[in-house]
Amino acid sequence: MSGLGYALPAVLAVVAVCVMEVGLLRTGLLRRPAYWISMVIVLGFQVLVDGWLTKLSAAIVIYDNRHTTGIRFPFDIPIEDFFFGFALVTAVLLLWEHSRVRPEVSQQR
Amino acid sequence: MSVDRWQYLIVLGACLLITAPLELFGRGVYRQPRRAVAAVLPVAAVFLLWDAIAVAAHVWWYNPRYILGVVAPGDLPLEEVLFFVVIPLCGLLTYSAVDALLSALRRRHAGVRRR
Repeated sequence: MSGLGYALPAVLAVVAVCVMEVGLLRTGLLRRPAYWISMVIVLGFQVLVDGWLTKLSAAIVIYDNRHTTGIRFPFDIPIEDFFFGFALVTAVLLLWEHSRVRPEVSQQR
Repeated sequence: MSVDRWQYLIVLGACLLITAPLELFGRGVYRQPRRAVAAVLPVAAVFLLWDAIAVAAHVWWYNPRYILGVVAPGDLPLEEVLFFVVIPLCGLLTYSAVDALLSALRRRHAGVRRR
């Protein structure tokens, strides 16, 4: 249960995404209500999909306990998955915002 | 071949099916294919690399009972490669729809105030 194999990279991925926004892309995504509302919806569906993929009674993805914190919630989802999912979706949304057609933004504000 | 081996693929298919109607809101995601590819591909590449390293280091692996057995480079099941296309698309569709709805609400609100 060192947690290094999955927990550490999962947390680092979240940090990397935040650094990407603050230091490089500066899209303003994290200040948009649409982003946070979307992430709550994504989280809700992640619990369903991830719950199915990781349920210990018939797991599709199997984790080595030595590489996770061992904390599984809700259902049998390793909590690391939520950092992983947050980083994955946020990174994609950052690139999506990065290529937003600029004139549309100025019209909206 | 047991139906169970389609499980992972069916889960991904369900994700695409459920999120498909979101394309109708705003400017959509599938209707902006270049922008979608530019957002999904670089991130998928990084996560697939992470995934392949994790599988090689036995951090996690995939139950052969629930996958078709088609293996991509990096010893990753086909389903896992598709995961990094499907889930980002679902996220994009959600964000695009929420953004379109909020913008519409804001415009309506502004219109009411102007009257």
